[in-house]
Amino acid sequence: MPAKFFNHKEHKAHKEKTLCSLWPLWCSFDCSPSRVTHYWETYPRKKPAGNPAFQFTVLAILLVAGASQSQFSFDARKDRLLNAAGQEVRKDFFAIIAKLQTQTNVPQALAMLDSLARDEGIGGMFYAYGLIGTYLRARSLLPDSLHVKIRRAFRTRVMYRGDTENHWVMYYTGLYLAAQTWPNEDGAQWFNGKSSQENFAEAKSWLDHWIKLTTTKGQGEFDSPTYFITFVTPMLTLYEFARDPVMRKEAEMMLDYLFADFAVEHLRGNYGGGHSRDYPQDIINPLVAASTMWAWLYFGEPEFEPWSGARGPMRHRGWEAVNGAVSSYRLPEIIRQIATDRSAPYVHTETKRVRNVIRFGEQKNPPVYKYTYMTNDYVLGSLHGGVLQPIQQHTWDVTFVSDQPNNTLFTLHPYYSGKELAMFFPEEQKVLSDEVNRFHLVYTNPDKWNASSPYEQTFQHKNVLMVLYNINENAQHAHLDGFFPKSLDERFEDASKWIFCKAGKTYIAFYPLQPYEWIEEEVNWRWRSRDLKNGVVVEIGAETTHGSFAEFKNRLRQTKVAHDNFDETLTVQYTTSAGELMQFTYDGQRLLNGKPVDFKSYKLFNGPFLQSEVGSGVLKIIYKNQTRILDFNKISIKGEK
Amino acid sequence: MNSRPFIINHRSCHSGGILFKPNASAREQKDSFRMTVLFISAKLHKTTRSFFLTYWLFHLAFTNTCLAQNMAGRIYAAVLFNNSKSNVTGADRYIGVFARAKGDTAWKNFPNTNLFAFGLGFAQHGATQRYYIAGGNGLHRSADGGKTWKILTGWETMEVLSVAFDPVEAKIIYIATPYGIFKSIDDGKNWAEKMRGCKSWYTDEVIIDALDRHTLYAAVDDDLYRSRDGGENWVALQAGAPGIRTVVQLATHSNVILVGTEDYGVRVTFDEGKNWSGGKGIPATAIYAIHASSNGKAIYAGGYKTGVWRSNDLGQSWLQIWTAPEIEAIYSLFVDPANADHLLVGTNGKGIYESTDGGMTWKQAGLEGAHVKQISILP
Repeated sequence: MPAKFFNHKEHKAHKEKTLCSLWPLWCSFDCSPSRVTHYWETYPRKKPAGNPAFQFTVLAILLVAGASQSQFSFDARKDRLLNAAGQEVRKDFFAIIAKLQTQTNVPQALAMLDSLARDEGIGGMFYAYGLIGTYLRARSLLPDSLHVKIRRAFRTRVMYRGDTENHWVMYYTGLYLAAQTWPNEDGAQWFNGKSSQENFAEAKSWLDHWIKLTTTKGQGEFDSPTYFITFVTPMLTLYEFARDPVMRKEAEMMLDYLFADFAVEHLRGNYGGGHSRDYPQDIINPLVAASTMWAWLYFGEPEFEPWSGARGPMRHRGWEAVNGAVSSYRLPEIIRQIATDRSAPYVHTETKRVRNVIRFGEQKNPPVYKYTYMTNDYVLGSLHGGVLQPIQQHTWDVTFVSDQPNNTLFTLHPYYSGKELAMFFPEEQKVLSDEVNRFHLVYTNPDKWNASSPYEQTFQHKNVLMVLYNINENAQHAHLDGFFPKSLDERFEDASKWIFCKAGKTYIAFYPLQPYEWIEEEVNWRWRSRDLKNGVVVEIGAETTHGSFAEFKNRLRQTKVAHDNFDETLTVQYTTSAGELMQFTYDGQRLLNGKPVDFKSYKLFNGPFLQSEVGSGVLKIIYKNQTRILDFNKISIKGEK
Repeated sequence: MNSRPFIINHRSCHSGGILFKPNASAREQKDSFRMTVLFISAKLHKTTRSFFLTYWLFHLAFTNTCLAQNMAGRIYAAVLFNNSKSNVTGADRYIGVFARAKGDTAWKNFPNTNLFAFGLGFAQHGATQRYYIAGGNGLHRSADGGKTWKILTGWETMEVLSVAFDPVEAKIIYIATPYGIFKSIDDGKNWAEKMRGCKSWYTDEVIIDALDRHTLYAAVDDDLYRSRDGGENWVALQAGAPGIRTVVQLATHSNVILVGTEDYGVRVTFDEGKNWSGGKGIPATAIYAIHASSNGKAIYAGGYKTGVWRSNDLGQSWLQIWTAPEIEAIYSLFVDPANADHLLVGTNGKGIYESTDGGMTWKQAGLEGAHVKQISILP
C-alpha cells in the first residue's frame, strides 16, 4: 500500500506547481482528506479498476504524469521532500528539520528533539553530527531548555568515533561544529575531556586528512548506494555551518566531488557499477537504495518519488536528503548534466582504495581498480576482484533501465571468514564472524547477496565481462550464486550454452563455464554452480546496438568461449560480438587483443566526464565544452557552475 | 626522576609477587606486603640486576604506604561488547568498565565509561593515582578516581588495545594499537609511532620488562618483538608462530616469557627469547589470555574453545582444569594476588565466571552477555 505523505492542502498546492493539466482527473477518484495517494507513486504495479477504455485513459494519464515528474525543478522537488519528511512520525533529526522548515507539526518536532537530546541510550557518530546540525539549523526556534539539553549532550554522552570511514566523517564533522559552537570551554565541558580548542584542532586535522586522502588515493567506502548519504550529509552540514571560509569551501568542493563521482555511474536513479559496500536488499533492488533519494533530489531521476514505495519499501527510511533540501548548496548544473545525459555510451575507470588494512596485508590502503561501461539502457560495472572491503562488497553487476523492481543481475562467491574480518577489525579472528553476524545478519549465510571473496577476479572491456573463480576447497560456502530477477522479460537456456535474458531494451548473454542449477526464490531465480574452478562470461547488448533480441542471440551464438582444460589453465578466451579478443587467466594476465591490461596505469578518474591523476588532488569535470576544476591543493574551483 | 609508581598495565598482567592473607586487615596487609618485598629483595640481591629491583621494591614498600590497603580494592572488568545489545554507536550502558568490591556480586558501571573497552591500566606516582582505559575512542585517563576522563590520543592512533607505563618516568606511556605501537614522552600530549624493525603493524599488547624499563615486548601480528631502547628499535624474537595475541613475563622468573598465539597455543621461552617451545598439552588454537599467580607457581591460560588450563611448571606442560560448553572463548584471566585460589575469567558473551577453590568449581559471576577483555584489581 502506498504511504500517505500529503495532506489535501499540500496536494492541491503540489498540483498547482506541476504543468500537467490532467492531474485533476486522476486525482479525483483517490484524493480525499483521509487518504491521498499519487497514482504514479504506485505505478506501474497498481492497476486501475473499471472498463478497458477507462483503464487506457488512466494509463495514458499515468504515463504523462510520470513523465511530468522529471520536469520538476530542484525547488519543486525539495518542497515535496520537505513536505513528505514533515509527516514523519519516527524520531529523526532530518524529519525534525523538515517539520521546522515547513512549520508543520512544530510542537511534535520540538518534542522529538527534546527526546533525542534527553535519551542517554543513544549516542555515537550518527547522533553527534545529526544533533549539532539540527541544533545549528533550528537554534533560533528552540526553547532555552533545549539549548541546555543539547549542550549537555556533548558533555555527558559518549560520542563514539567508530571504526569506519563514514563513522569518522560523521564524528569529526559533529565534533568540528560542536567545538566551533561552544568555543573556549575547558575539558570538563566535553564528553572526551578535551577543550574546545583541542577538539576543534583534532576534528579539522582529520577532515583535512580525509579530504586529501580521498582526492589523491580515492575513497575507501567508495560508491556505496547506502553509505553515500553518510558522506554527503555531513559535508552539507559542514558547508552550511562551518565559519571558517576555507573549511566551507572544502566542504563545497567535496560535495561537488562526491556528486560527480556518483553522477558518472548514475543511470535513471540507479547507482551503477561495483560498490565498496551495500546491503542485500539494495543490491538486488537498486532503486530502493538510499542514494536514490539523492539522485531524485539533485539529478531529477528516477521519475517516481523514492519514498513512495514504487519499487518496494526503502530499506533505509532516513530523511537525510532533507539536509540537501534546506541547504544553500546547489549542485553545479554541469554535474547534473553528466548524471542524466546518456546519449552516448562511455567507458569510465577509477582508482579507489581498500579500507584500512590492519593485518594480513603489506599495504594499509592497496588500490582498487574499477571499470564501468555506461549506456542509455544499462550500466555494466566491476571491481577488479579480491577482498577489497569486508562484509558488504558488491563486485560486479549489470543494472538495466526497467519499470520493474530488481533491475539487476550479478554473481558472487558468498565467502566469509574470520580472517577476512580480522584484516579490518581488531577483535579476535576466530569469533569475529559471529560478532559481525550480530550486526549484519546475513554475513555467514550461504545465500547472501553481498560478499567479497579472495577467490574472485574480473576482467571487463566495455559491454563484456569475464568473472573467474578459483575457490579454495576449505573456503566457507564453496559455491557461486547468480541473481536473475523474475522481473526479466525473458530468461532461457540456449543450446549454445548461453543463457539469454531480456529486460526491456537490454539484452544479457550469460555463459557459465561449469554446470549449474536453478533455485526458485521469491523475487528471483538463483543460479548456483558448485565447481571450485569456475567462471562466467557476460556480454550485454541493447536494442540500439544489437537490433532485436533475436538478432542479439544469433550474434552471440556465433561467438566462441574457449575454456578447454580450464581446470588446469584457469584461462578463458572470448571474441566478443564486436570482434574483440579477450583472454583472462586467473591470477594471470588480462589480455585485450593480445595486449596486457595494466591496472597501474589507471587514473583516479578517467572518462569523458571526469579526469584526475592519482596523487594530484585535482579533479577536472567536463561536459561538452564546459569544464569545472576542483583543485584541492589550492582549495579553489575554476570554471562552470 | 619521578617517584617509583605502582602500576598495573597490561591485560594478562602478573601481580608482582605481593602476597596478602585473605580477609587480612589493612595493617596486616601492609605488614605482609613489607615482608614479602623484603624477602623477594633479599632473594634477588645476588643477581646482576638486583639493585634495580631492590630499589623498586623498597621504594614501593616505604613510599606507598597505602598501597596494601588499595590492593584489597575493587575488581574491574573491561567490556567490549554485550550480546544483549547490538548498539554499534558506543552509547550502551552494557559496555565499558564495570567494578565491584571484592566479595560483592553486583557490578557497577564505572562513571562515564560506556564505551568499547579493550583494556585497563592504573598508575600511581606518589600520591597521584591515574586510571586508564584502552578503548575504541582512544586512551582515556582519569586522575580523580573515575569522576572525569580525558582522551589522550588523537585520530592517528585509532583504537587503543592496551597500555603500558614507564615505571620511573611518569610521562612516558606506550600504547598498542591496530596501527602499531605509539609512545608519548609528555604524559599523553603527543604520540609518535614506534615500529622500526617491525614487519607488520597490528599490535595487541605491549609490556615493559620487569627488570629493565627500557626493554619492551610487543605482541605484533607476525611475531613477538623486543626493544632494548624504549621502543626506538625492535627485533623479532622468532617465537615460532605468527599471530601473537598476548605476552606475559613472569615477575618471579623474569627470563620466562610466555605468548598466546592465534593458532599454535602457548609458546614459552626460558632464556629471554633465545629459544622457544610449545606448551605441552594445551591445544594448538587461539590463546587470548595468560595469567600467573603472584608466586609464579601456577600459570593459567585460556582462549578459543579451550576452557581454562593450568601449568605448574612455568608453562612447559598444561592441564585443563575447567571447561563449559556454553563458553566459546575466554578473553581474560585473573588470579587474585591476595588469594591464589580466587580466579576469574572473562568470556566472549557470557560475562565473568569465578572460582574460589583454585579452579575446581566455577559459577557465573555477573555481566552476563558481556565480552570481557580484561579483569584487574585496582584501588
